[in-house]
Amino acid sequence: MPASLLERRLHFVVGKGGVGKTTVAAALALTLARRGRRTLAVDMEPGRRLAGLLGREADPRLSVLHVDGRAALEEYLNLVIPVKRLLATVFASKIYQYFVAAAPGLKELMTVGKIWYEATRSEGGGPAWDAIVVDAPATGHSLQYLRMPQAARETFGAGLVQREASKITELLRDRRATAVHLVTLAEEMPVIETLEMRAQLTGALGLPLGYVIVNRLHRRRFDPAAVERLRAAAKTAPAPEQALLRCVVERAAEESGWSDINAANLARLHAGIGEAPLVELPFLFVEEFGPAELEQVARLLEAGMAGGAEAAARQRSRSS
Amino acid sequence: MTLRELVERHQIVISAGSGGVGKTTVAASIALWGALAGRRAVVITIDPARRLASSLGLETLGSEAREIPAAFFAAQGLAAPRGSLAAMMLDQKGAWDALVERHAPAEARARILQNPFYQHLSQTFAGSQEYMAIEQLCLLAESGAYDLIVVDTPPTRHALDFLEAPKRIGDFLDRKVVKWFVRPYFSAGWSALRAMNRTVGFLLRRLEQATGISALAEISDFFTSMSGLFENFQPRVERAYKVLRGAETAFVLVTGPEEQVLGDAEYLSTKMAELHMPLKGVVLNRVHHEYRPAGRGARRGELEPEDAEQVTRAVATALGGAAGEAGELAANFVDYQALARGESLRLEMFRAGLPRAVPVVQVPNFARDVHDLASLAEMHAHLFGGKAAA
Repeated sequence: MPASLLERRLHFVVGKGGVGKTTVAAALALTLARRGRRTLAVDMEPGRRLAGLLGREADPRLSVLHVDGRAALEEYLNLVIPVKRLLATVFASKIYQYFVAAAPGLKELMTVGKIWYEATRSEGGGPAWDAIVVDAPATGHSLQYLRMPQAARETFGAGLVQREASKITELLRDRRATAVHLVTLAEEMPVIETLEMRAQLTGALGLPLGYVIVNRLHRRRFDPAAVERLRAAAKTAPAPEQALLRCVVERAAEESGWSDINAANLARLHAGIGEAPLVELPFLFVEEFGPAELEQVARLLEAGMAGGAEAAARQRSRSS
Repeated sequence: MTLRELVERHQIVISAGSGGVGKTTVAASIALWGALAGRRAVVITIDPARRLASSLGLETLGSEAREIPAAFFAAQGLAAPRGSLAAMMLDQKGAWDALVERHAPAEARARILQNPFYQHLSQTFAGSQEYMAIEQLCLLAESGAYDLIVVDTPPTRHALDFLEAPKRIGDFLDRKVVKWFVRPYFSAGWSALRAMNRTVGFLLRRLEQATGISALAEISDFFTSMSGLFENFQPRVERAYKVLRGAETAFVLVTGPEEQVLGDAEYLSTKMAELHMPLKGVVLNRVHHEYRPAGRGARRGELEPEDAEQVTRAVATALGGAAGEAGELAANFVDYQALARGESLRLEMFRAGLPRAVPVVQVPNFARDVHDLASLAEMHAHLFGGKAAA
């Protein structure tokens, strides 16, 4: 039931580069923490932008963790082979570097493994975190991560890693625990990638799809006829106003242009996405994106998620 | 110097920048301009939007450069170019396979192509796609078939990956290490390794047991089959840097006006200087227009673009009193003005950090998809025309 989407423990936020994935992940983490849940936001990129966005939040229920594949692998090996002195030698050796590069997906598996560990870790008799939000890398790359546990289970021979991979796959596929949210723009390439991503996620990978979040949406704000009337009027306006009115017309045409592009692509997205609840986030006209804007995105996201859940529930009750 | 002069004086133009800034479109537009000006131009694209790909005649994947027929220009509303325009799409896997085809002995090819280590290296190894783009660039430059080669760079979070790719691949395929892997006893298994370094051998064996993969045998098999190729790899890397640093090559940074994107661009331009690959031009793409009243502040009663009420009144008067519509149109203008002002402040600071000699041009945020040759040509006025910013 989609109303429970926000109640899930493990949230992956994925999408093409440049669509605002990190901002949405930060806003989601903030929303969950505000709802009183101890939330861990996970950053996988070396740039650590998520930490940058959330660093200014002083909410004690919100923590940020950077997960790096290589470090996670070393941490894991420390658990498996608890002789620290010897391990240091191994990590420094060139053969080890080759081993890591050669073992397909080992780093990716360890990254997801580390997230799994955090998701299942207990502290003081209960789970360490109520919610984990992962800002995944750009689309192609995040598929590599999400595919890894299953691939590992199927391709790695019987061993410790295979057993771990099975446990991780189980959690990722659990509809009560995990949701993969897709962030996109209503533009050509992002929509194509989102539909492809959805097919792969829900197909072979069998992962539970969460919300589809359409970011930076321009909506038609005025009648095109009024714009044309103003265009004509600007021509005969007195000199001081003329330049300004021309500019008002140009910006109106610009906004209409984008709202048309967005509307057409949103329709394509709607047609292709099936039952997934859609959340629409408006384009924000701001001089600078700061804490106040993040706050605004968090509020819009929460409201949109509640609305999207209702819409999906209505659709379901109609179809049943 | 202007961007026009820059492109005129260089044989190779590399369009660099972080993901999602419109690098591909800018690269295609530059190549088209060269072709229209009479040059034999080619653009290497990485992951073009589908409609752009079909405008360039790239509906089918192929690692070969293909000339765009005159009929394509006519169909898209342009006159046939005085020169010629070819396009190719970099197919990373195909490019690695071609490298194997060229360099590996015939009997080893199938084995290499199926080797899991090779598959990993060619598909996902960091820097592998970037390296292949540079490899393609070198081949085209050496062929002598083109006098303008424009390269789009892969969509990485940090464009720096592109510049470091040859070194990274070179280090990875380090001759000394590769030689070591090629030793015949290696593929025989672990006993030999244990003799060399007991600790490492023991622990890596545990690692192989834990993961259930026999990585080292695969690596050894791969390098043994490919030894001919990788013996000569270091010179290839040096050749790549020679081309990248050459006087005939111009790096053009493409960036958007957003905080994070500009931050990446700033970092990139600093790093490039350190790597002795000077940044020669900057394209500020998708910039919103800022309204600046003429002689503002000089005259009384001047309209303040920030003042929504004043703008609303002016629009309402012009429309003859439709207050609701006027309010919406004015609010939209004020919204865009806020966006544009933020951008212009950031761009000003960004420009101040650039060397003075680097030409900077500004391309507006077109409210439509730039997908066909005609709309690529429309960018020319902003890239090369009189509108080029000083």
